[in-house]
Formats: sequence, structure tokens, C-alpha cells
Amino acid sequence: MATRNNRTGTAVRPPQDPAGPIAPPPDRTRPEATPRARTRTRQPRLWTWLLLPGTLWMTGFLVVSLLLVATLALGTTDPLGNPRFGLNFANLTALADPAYRTVLLRSLGYALITCLISLAVAYPVAYAIALRGGRFKNLLIAAIVVPFFANYLVRMYGWSVVLSDDGPLLKALRAIGLADEGTKILQTGVGVIAGLVYGFVVFMIIPLYAAMERMDTSLIEAGRDLYGGPLRTFLFVTVPATRQGAAAGCVLVFLPAMGDFVSAQLMGGPDQIMIGNLIQDKFFQGQNWPLGSALTMLLMAVLFLGMLGYLRRTRKDEAEAAR
Amino acid sequence: MSPEALPPTRRSFLRAGTAAALALAASGCGFATADDPAGRATAQAPIDVKVDGDLVYFNWADFVEPSVFEGFQKEYGVKVVQSNYDSMEGMAAKLNAGNRYDIIFPTAKWAERLAAGGRLRTIDHSRLRGAEAVFGGYGYFADPWYDPRSAHTVPFTMYKTGIGWRRDRLGDLTGSWDDLWNDQAKGKVFVLDDRDEVLGLGALKLGLDLTTGDHGDLARVTDALRSLRPRLRGFSSDSYNNLLNGNADMTQAWSGDMAAMLDQAEDPAVFGFEVAREGAPVNSDCYAIPANAQHPGTAMLFIDYMLRPENVKKNIEYIGYPMPVSGTEDTYAALVEPFPQCVVTADDLAADLFFRNGDAGTERARDAAWTDVKAG
Repeated sequence: MATRNNRTGTAVRPPQDPAGPIAPPPDRTRPEATPRARTRTRQPRLWTWLLLPGTLWMTGFLVVSLLLVATLALGTTDPLGNPRFGLNFANLTALADPAYRTVLLRSLGYALITCLISLAVAYPVAYAIALRGGRFKNLLIAAIVVPFFANYLVRMYGWSVVLSDDGPLLKALRAIGLADEGTKILQTGVGVIAGLVYGFVVFMIIPLYAAMERMDTSLIEAGRDLYGGPLRTFLFVTVPATRQGAAAGCVLVFLPAMGDFVSAQLMGGPDQIMIGNLIQDKFFQGQNWPLGSALTMLLMAVLFLGMLGYLRRTRKDEAEAAR
Repeated sequence: MSPEALPPTRRSFLRAGTAAALALAASGCGFATADDPAGRATAQAPIDVKVDGDLVYFNWADFVEPSVFEGFQKEYGVKVVQSNYDSMEGMAAKLNAGNRYDIIFPTAKWAERLAAGGRLRTIDHSRLRGAEAVFGGYGYFADPWYDPRSAHTVPFTMYKTGIGWRRDRLGDLTGSWDDLWNDQAKGKVFVLDDRDEVLGLGALKLGLDLTTGDHGDLARVTDALRSLRPRLRGFSSDSYNNLLNGNADMTQAWSGDMAAMLDQAEDPAVFGFEVAREGAPVNSDCYAIPANAQHPGTAMLFIDYMLRPENVKKNIEYIGYPMPVSGTEDTYAALVEPFPQCVVTADDLAADLFFRNGDAGTERARDAAWTDVKAG
């Protein structure tokens, strides 16, 4: 199906291009419908109906909520703290405060580091399970996924207890001389990133595992036959073959890490505040929903740029694969 | 032909989606509508004090002793349907969304906002048998700033903000907000994760108005708080856990939380609680009945029942906050014997250091200052 998709895709693409980089999704649905429609005219309607629940769901809960947030960014609050819609640009100009830039850059940095550490942790785990897991594969994946079902907040609270000054981790480190009385993890950047990695690493393991499961293992054998050592084979065969899984994992980790507020709240100090904390403050403390909405839009704009990069990248990959 | 088969359908989807979006956006405005005159009339109608259904109760978690609830249910043959919030903003958001509760517990500032917005029923104190012990004993509440003549509220608890600290690590303090700048506690100081409290401590230290919205004042406050930053370990309202688990040597803290900690500390002598001589913010939670309450009569009975001295005493011991009901002072004094400054006196109330509501400009300026303090 993929080849058919790509073959017709290239044929239809030119007239679509002026629509800009956001065009790809329709690009994909259209050529798929084409050959089917040619054989049976009634089917597109069936597909349309099947799309209906999902479309309604997304319209109701994503598009409309986003529109509300975007509109509210121009709103005000009445004396009771109710948000009111309006045309007020004070919230947008307030974003010029350099404090927001600092916090946004910090969040970006934390999210990127979280991605890198998650990659480093997830690769060996996914590799071991997918290629060496044997009959324990499903059990091992379950062992990683099931704890993830526990409430995020509860897990983070538990994690903060583990990392606290008198907690088990620092006690153990002190006992073996790797930490002294003054060493702390909580209320440092290390603590926040530890929290983020702990919270989101599963999102990296699963797509990597899926990519490795699909990978043609004869490639690894070929690499070995060509005298590549384990490390070289891993770097030049396994990593490129699972690149798409890694990219998907990075997006799945980066997006929630960037918007997270629990980790910085429980594990961070005054210098670790993230953009999510400021947004949460505006909604739950200051009851300034309009300013919170404006901040949300700012965050989304930054994330959107990242997503755009990802989409272009995967599109290029697909085009290359088709060639 | 066929490639064109799909687009019209998709476009109509989009059209339907946009229509739905607009409709929802329009109805979204609904929760922001102004109060109507008819609603005001109901809000002012006197409430018949009788059982008119189960009590739908909305408060901070764990703010009433469970056996007190049981006693009320048994005596009046009703059920108490409980739900909890974790912030005043959360409470207001639920009310604004149209949820119906029979009794809520706003702080002074929020009582003023809700009453001004026509969201509260008036309460006729002459119908409450316990009212005299409150308003007779605590003159301040007979006509408080947040609700003239307490027309819509009955005070529930009182508290102050001060500094909790580890005596074993820091010894004695000096009784000033400057203590937070103590170098011995460097890196182990917390302040509350609360805009008004943190800006308030800066203002009091500098001798400024507690809830100032003046840009010059706020700049001085944020400067002062910036100098605290290098000593600061975090913003957290979990003050007593931070003290108990050793993360904090010193923390800004609410008196009631410190009193509640006494119950959990192995050795209370290790801890101290002081109130700064520059002034301590004081606050009060009240009983209030929302204008859209379905069972206001039961709510009145509940307030009356809660004001009975034996129940007040049970609640004081359970939550650690004093209540303005004369005759219960000894109970509280005994409870906080290691931290005598937790007691809220008539003088504390008269000093009137309550956080007040500001106009839109003030609130915006304070929001920006808080962002500066927090984000650094």
C-alpha cells in the first residue's frame, strides 16, 4: 500500500504545493481514495461516514477548544474572575516580559535534554527487548507499560520522595561516598530533568521497540558479515534503520515535556520554573485565563515550529524511501 | 472525476465544524453573563431554616471532623454529599460553570467577590442560635470589610501567615520577615506558592501597603524578593511536609498548617512558628450559601449545627485552625501550646492585614510582579 500511495502521491503533488507545508495530510488521503473510487464509486461515502465520529470528536474537543483558547487570549476578566471575550491586546503585549523568554528557553532546553537522555535510555532497552527478548517480549513490554497506568501525579510524588534530601537515593549515595551532606537533587535542574525523563521515557521506548521489531534483522547479520563490530553495526545499521521510531519517540517525549508543570513543581526550585508552571499559575492561582491562554498560544507556536520540522523530515524520508 | 469526489464532503465537514465552533464559542460566553435582577431578588429572600433536602457540601478536603458530619446526618436525617477543591480559583470556576452547592467556604477576599457578583444568598443571623457567640464575641465580624454586617457570610476559621522553622538547626529567630534572609538557612528556605502571600511579605518587610498595586511599590517588592532568591529553595505551599522531611530549615507558613503539624511531629520542640513584628497577614474563611443552592434551609441548619460549641471544639482540634466562637479559645490555646503565635486575637483582626481585591489594573500589575518573582 505504501508504494501505491507514494507512486500516485508524486503524480498528484504539484498542484497541491502552493498550499504550503500544511498541505501534506490531504495529500495523503486523496491519492488513496483515487484508485478505490475508480473501481467502486460508492465506497468514498462509506469512508466518509467512518471518518465522521473521529472528525466530530476532534472538531469538538480539539479544534473548538483551541479556537476558544485562541479567542480568549484577547479577552479580559470580570471582577468575579470570569473570563470574558473581547478584543484586548494587553495579554499579548504582556508576553514581551523578558521573564517569559527566559522560562520558555529553559523549558526548551529541559525538553531537549530530556529527549536525548530518553533516547540514550530507551535504545538499549528497546533493543534488548525487541531483539533479545525472545518469549519474554510481551511480558517485558508489559512491565514497562503497566506502571505507566498509575496516575502521573502519584508517580511523580513517589519519585520526589526517592530524590528528597533524606530519601533512599541520596542516603545510598552518601553511604558509598558519592555524595556529601550538602548534595541535593530536588530543587535543581537535575531533579526536574530526572522527573521529566522518568515521566516520559515510556513514550520513547515504545516507538523504538516497534521500529526494532519491524527491522529486518538480516541487515545486522550483513553488517557483521562485512566486519562491522557490534558498536559500528549498531551505529551504522540499527540506528539508521530505526531512525523513524526514534524521531516519533522524540516528538512524543518532547511535546509533553515542554508543557509539563508537575516535574518542575515537585522537583524544581525557584530557578527551574517551566512555562507549564506559569500557565498553570494563570489558570489556577491568578485566575487570569486570558493571560494563560495567551501563554498557551505562545507555547503552541513554539511547539508547532518543532512539529513542522518533524513533518518535513518524515516527508523527506518517505520520498527517499519511494525512490 | 473521482479525485473530486471527496473534497466537497470534506469541505462540508469543515463548514459544519466551523458552525459548531462558533456555536460553542457563543455559548462559551454564557458563563460570563452578568447577574440578572430576578436572581438578585431570590438571593435576598430570607431562607426558611428547615430540612429541604440533602446537603451538597463544597470545601477544602478534610476541613470538618468526620464525626461532626455523622452527627449532623443522624440528627437531621439527611446525607452530606461532599466535594472538595484545592484552590479558591477552582471553587469559583466550578460555581461559575453553574454547579450547584448548598454550602461553600470562601476566604474573605472571595466572599467579597462572590457577594458583589450576586452569587451568595443573604443569611439572617437572628435565625442562627449560635450567632451570638460569633458576632457578640468577635466584634470584628459584626461588620467586616469583605461583607458589610456579614450579610452573606458567617466566619468559619481565622489564620495568620508567619515563619515556621527548625529550632534544632537555626536556634532562635528575631521575629522579623528579615529572618527569611538568614544566611544560616541559605538554600533551605521556602516561601508559599501564593501570589498575595509572597508579594505581601515583601510589602510588609518594606513597610508598604499589603496589597499594593502601585508600580513603584511593586518594583521595590520584587527587588527585595530578588535578593531572597539565592537563599530560596522553592515556592511551595506544602510547608509542614517540607519542614518535617528536612527539605526546609525555614518556610513561610500558614498558622493552621503549623498547628496541624504538631500532631505529626515526633518532637514538636524541634520546630518553631513566629509572626513578624512588621505585620502578619490575617485571613478568614466563611460559611456562605450560593445563590443557586437547592437546599439552603439544610445549609442554614448545618451552619447552626457547626456553631454548637462542642462541634466547634471538635473541628478546631481536627483542622488546627481557630474559629471565632467565644468559649472555644481555651481549646485552641491548649492545642497550639508549643506555637502560641498561632492564636488569632482581636488585635490581630483589628490590624486588618487582609488581602484585598484590587481593580483590573492592580490585579494585572500584581500578576506581572508575581511572574517576575517566580520566573526570576
